[in-house]
Amino acid sequence: MKFLFYLALVVLLVPLQTTLLPHLSVWNIKPDLGLVAAALVGLFAGELEGLLVGLAIGWILSLFSAGELWLSLLVNGGVGLLTGFLGRQVSQVTAISLGAGVLLVSLASGLLAAMTFKGFDTSQMWWMVESIVFPQACFDGVMGAAFYWILSRRFDRTRLRTE
Amino acid sequence: MWMAHSSSPYGARRIALACFALLLVALFIFPSQIQGLLQYLGGPVGYVVSVPLEAVASIDSSIADRWAQYVALQGVREENQQLRKENEWLRGQHSQLRESAAATERLTALLNFKEQALPTMIAAQVIGRDATNRYRAIILNKGESDGVKPDMGVVTPAGVVGRVVKTTGASSVVLLVTDPNNAIAALIQRTRDEGIVEGAQRGLAKLKYIPLLSTLRDGDRVVTSGLIGDFPRGLMIGAITRIDKEEGALFQSAELMPEVDVGRVEEVLVIQTSYGQSAKTGVGADPPEKSVP
Repeated sequence: MKFLFYLALVVLLVPLQTTLLPHLSVWNIKPDLGLVAAALVGLFAGELEGLLVGLAIGWILSLFSAGELWLSLLVNGGVGLLTGFLGRQVSQVTAISLGAGVLLVSLASGLLAAMTFKGFDTSQMWWMVESIVFPQACFDGVMGAAFYWILSRRFDRTRLRTE
Repeated sequence: MWMAHSSSPYGARRIALACFALLLVALFIFPSQIQGLLQYLGGPVGYVVSVPLEAVASIDSSIADRWAQYVALQGVREENQQLRKENEWLRGQHSQLRESAAATERLTALLNFKEQALPTMIAAQVIGRDATNRYRAIILNKGESDGVKPDMGVVTPAGVVGRVVKTTGASSVVLLVTDPNNAIAALIQRTRDEGIVEGAQRGLAKLKYIPLLSTLRDGDRVVTSGLIGDFPRGLMIGAITRIDKEEGALFQSAELMPEVDVGRVEEVLVIQTSYGQSAKTGVGADPPEKSVP
């Protein structure tokens, strides 16, 4: 059952991210729902499932992006693993703390991606950080916090982990 | 808000860490092999994912059509009048161009030019945008099974859109001409000076490495040079809107307004074989859907 849920999540994320979200973008910036999904799976279902689902999301989404595969794999897999640990080690996970965590990971991955761009000078790099990386990180953080808040009211994290 | 717990076994944590470490090591030692393998495995996965993707894209497109046909009709009268005027002007241009074409035909026959093969193209529909915000790319509903391969040029009748960078079985990703990671060999139509077109900020493009002695000016049209890549010569890229000439620099550069509004493009043509390559590369390839001169 869980496997089917994860399969549907990964497959449906692609049309959501590539076809529907561009209509809902703010100033041409859309949130990275793959990152948010990997973070939530890690938090609710543990580090192993977070890692595997994150890797699957990273791989599938990279097939539909011009970006580097390794970055997508590491960021999404890494965030699933990290939130899995976070859920176990931190005494109280709140929507704000998760949102802040997602914001930082998104910011770090955006900076890493900007640094891999060929022939970028300082002004172009700054433009990219200012107009794409930072707004997207904020957007991702808000989405992460909002989804966590909704899910935490509906589901019990402990029950999902031990199911 | 919940309290943390530690009911999950330590084994899962160890396995997760080991998997992640293994992946890191593998990506570090064999980066291209791992990426190549995952890209290869992505081919069949693309078929599965393309089913909901095309379904959602088709619903999205039908909603957009209905919106455009019934709701967003305000200001159509003014637009219609403007288009009529433009049509009249274009008719005049058309007759002039027909005269020029007839003259070129006569001259070509006179010079006994070797007949060139027409490029073969595959018509494709745009079904999505890049999954991230960092790249300006579009997703097409045609992939490897339709004969689309990386590095193929993508155009509309108006001009250049970009080039294919990734393919799966049933879809492909096209890096747009406005993306800073793209580079297309180009020349200024009037002066015949060559340069490289790259994407720039705010959805524009930039023509770089123009010789210092070039007499380019605002409004000059820039077309593909056909020297590098899979674009035939003479496809419209854009028009020069600003010239940057720095003191002491070896080259000039210019800002371009792309001819194709890549943010709104819905159907495109993928250039399968360029001028004069049909005979060489056409063998074994899938039959093209459309042939455009």
